[in-house]
Amino acid sequence: MDIHADIAATVSDEADAARRARARTISAALRYTLLFAVGLVMLYPLIWLVGASFKTNTEIFSGAGFIPRNPTLSGYVAGWQTSTPYTFARFFWNTFLIILPKVIGTAISCTMAAYAFARFDFPLKRTLFATVIAVLLLPNVVTRIPQYMLFRDLGWLDSFLPLWVPSALAGDAFFVFMLVQFLRSLPGDMEEAARVDGANSLQTLVYIVVPMLAPALISVCLFQFMWTMNDFLGPLIYLSSVDKYPVSLALKLSIDTTEAFEWNRILAMSVLTILPALAIFFAAQRYFIEGISAGGVKG
Amino acid sequence: MKGRRALGLAYLSPYIIGLLVFTAIPFLASLYLGFTKYDLMNPPRWVGFDNFEKLFTRDRTFWKSLQVTLLYVFLTVPLKLAFALFIAAILNDKLRFINFFRTAFYVPSILGGSIAIAVLWRYIFASEGLANMALAVVGLGPVDWFGDPTNALFTLTLLRCWQFGSAMVIFLAALQSIDKSLYEAARIDGASRTRIFFAITLPLLTPVIFFNLIMQMVQAFQEFNGPYIITQGGPLKSTYLLPLYIYDEAFKKFNMGYASAIAWVLFVIIMALTLVAFWSSKRWVYYAGDKRS
Amino acid sequence: MARVQLRNLEKVYGGAVKAVHGIDLDIADGEFMVFVGPSGCAKSTTLRMVAGLEEVTGGEILIGGRRVNDLPPGKRSIAMVFQNYALYPHMKVRGNLAFGLKIAGKRKPEIEAAIAEVARILEIEPLLDRLPKQLSGGQAQRVALGRALIKKPGVFLFDEPLSNLDAKLRASMRVRITDLHRRLRAEGLSSTVIYVTHDQTEAMTMGDRICVMQAGRIMQVATPKELYTSPANLFVAGFIGTPEMNLLDGRLDGGDFVIGGQRLALDPEVLARLGARRPAAAVLGIRPQHLTLGTAGLEARITHAEFMGHEVNLHADLEGRKLVAVVGAADYDALAEGDRVRLRPAAEHVHVFDAAEGHNVSLRPDRLAA
Repeated sequence: MDIHADIAATVSDEADAARRARARTISAALRYTLLFAVGLVMLYPLIWLVGASFKTNTEIFSGAGFIPRNPTLSGYVAGWQTSTPYTFARFFWNTFLIILPKVIGTAISCTMAAYAFARFDFPLKRTLFATVIAVLLLPNVVTRIPQYMLFRDLGWLDSFLPLWVPSALAGDAFFVFMLVQFLRSLPGDMEEAARVDGANSLQTLVYIVVPMLAPALISVCLFQFMWTMNDFLGPLIYLSSVDKYPVSLALKLSIDTTEAFEWNRILAMSVLTILPALAIFFAAQRYFIEGISAGGVKG
Repeated sequence: MKGRRALGLAYLSPYIIGLLVFTAIPFLASLYLGFTKYDLMNPPRWVGFDNFEKLFTRDRTFWKSLQVTLLYVFLTVPLKLAFALFIAAILNDKLRFINFFRTAFYVPSILGGSIAIAVLWRYIFASEGLANMALAVVGLGPVDWFGDPTNALFTLTLLRCWQFGSAMVIFLAALQSIDKSLYEAARIDGASRTRIFFAITLPLLTPVIFFNLIMQMVQAFQEFNGPYIITQGGPLKSTYLLPLYIYDEAFKKFNMGYASAIAWVLFVIIMALTLVAFWSSKRWVYYAGDKRS
Repeated sequence: MARVQLRNLEKVYGGAVKAVHGIDLDIADGEFMVFVGPSGCAKSTTLRMVAGLEEVTGGEILIGGRRVNDLPPGKRSIAMVFQNYALYPHMKVRGNLAFGLKIAGKRKPEIEAAIAEVARILEIEPLLDRLPKQLSGGQAQRVALGRALIKKPGVFLFDEPLSNLDAKLRASMRVRITDLHRRLRAEGLSSTVIYVTHDQTEAMTMGDRICVMQAGRIMQVATPKELYTSPANLFVAGFIGTPEMNLLDGRLDGGDFVIGGQRLALDPEVLARLGARRPAAAVLGIRPQHLTLGTAGLEARITHAEFMGHEVNLHADLEGRKLVAVVGAADYDALAEGDRVRLRPAAEHVHVFDAAEGHNVSLRPDRLAA
């Protein structure tokens, strides 16, 4: 019943609440600062790369800033010409010639495999699905040499075939796994309705399942596009003629052959090679993030 | 409707063909090759355990390479995962701009495996490159990144850690799928934030941590682009990871048999570590669906 | 001709679990047959076997006199309405309706005409260009109905189509479906229906005949009225009717039925129906609506009463067994909880069941249904 004590208690409660609120704001501020700092450190190399590609060679190593004092396109023009008989246009075209059949082949074969695993029952189904997991975890260093010998015997060396045919036969277990998980989460009612409507399994697959599978399929295609653009070891092993080089090999070539001080050419071409990937990523961000979280969390 | 069964196999046929031709048979073939001497010109010649004997007793490069590889994996993978988890935990807290940050951190991992970035790394860590300029700003002396054996490997570690975005996204998704009522119950019980993280969040994340651990480890053991482009395995073979050694033996010197032997040793190491991880996971991975608590 | 015949139909899972035990059933052309039973009784499994969505392990299914065991669903002249509507999510309503006809290779003008007609009948014209996710539950189910109608099948199969709708919608959809059935029949079109539900109200109000199932077996197949007045066994007696029929266990002794310490003298009409059948352990069945408050009959103590407006559901205890009687509200006025009352069963509605086998041993021979 001591009024003074009561008032003192109320005041100290309010002070407590205020202190806690301040602590929360400070902690939030700290967090934002940290994230911002990390983000800056993470992205600065890229920002610098783009800026440096517009600099002159002497300027590149003169400072850490990314805004060129006298922006120039000379890096791009010279780099595009390359020191080979071909321009970078050829190398981009080669990359395209690899990516197109690879992405299409992957989409078709992995969808078929996922359809089989998720909607049918057949002998050895469990064993076969176990192989998908096994291949997923398999370090492919152990199959690379015999694969080379196989392609040599088939006469496929120095062609694009070794680079996309395995994927066109659902060779990338990650995508099969991802599509199976996604398909399993979709109810089978619509497909039953389609069967009652007289559709056979192929019609059901094409008209009903694939449209429902669309988000996951887009993720698959995007990831395959990215991975193929970055693929280096494959082309390194299988392609020997320069006129068949994709951009990854072409870039390596330019490091080897370019004069020691012509860095801006190399940087300019580097920017060009990552541009498609960046553009596609920003256009389809949603599918990337959803795809990787779905495959990861469920796994 | 036995037809359904045949149909299922029909749809799976591309996969089965691919599996046999491009995975299963090569896998067995490489084991066979490990016991041969094969230079692509003449047919393979059986040499029994010679390759392995040479590998383990007389090949100093192999031991150096193995040591460097193990160092790289055990340094990089935990660092990368810890950082990914740390950032994901910070981002999880109903922060605004979460999408912006998530994108910013994820972009490096899309580009990171590319040659362009490897090239960029060469310039960043050159003696007059960006890294030394940044160090100069805070008053630290220039570091000889590519000349000093201890530092060169570290640049590769940094490259891989720079790509923590993909692991972070997976962690973030997992964090966001944790039932919020668990946190509320804990807070009512008076638990502090750190306590909540270690007692509730972390255990629930263990399946995802486990998955990421395996995936990152298997990938790290097969790192090729970075060391090949940036350091060419040097200096003094301090970044001569096993995949590089295998490549050189197979495609530069055409010792296919020997290279296959090395590849199999690498494979066995990876499998052994994976199995250890699986075995140990029973102790520390908590699956919410388990009946045992 | 779209009659459906099931001959010794069986379904076994994994070589061990028998879900459907040798079902025999004849469904006449144009009949509205309802499969009803508790969850797990295999009514949906049986329906799906008729549809061709489940493989038949044993026995035969004939549609229109033709054996269909090996035919895919699309060739059996059936259409199905699913519990979850199963509309194709990426197609508009128009597309959903047209899909089956497109697969069958029908030409565009024919498809357009069919869509227009079905849309008119089901009043879904304004919905034709909407996507399924933009439809309410009732609208979605009408579209599903339309998708079935448009194919002009021999047999319509319904798998608990109203379970996902709220009570009011369920009532109006029930009427819509039965109206549709009557119309099709009147116009001489194929209108055989097999309708699966767990709701006995739906069953009783919609079916020409009802097939009551339990644990993969047919318990009784009869018209709603026959099921109500002449249940063939304990299961059907307890399943049909709300509130449930009172089933009191006891034994026959001479002309009396003994329940615990009480003796109920059985009316000669009942005894005549029993004839020579006197099972050792018996169960007396009498519906709550057929018990009247009076001075003679079974004696029970009121435990509580449910006020239903015009009537009162009287819950009582009889020798430790539960008894329910439906009495007029006025008759209950003078009574209270704890009171002892006497309830007289109406003789023509008394049933006696064999406690061991479950059969109704008090059915007149001419009332014995399949």
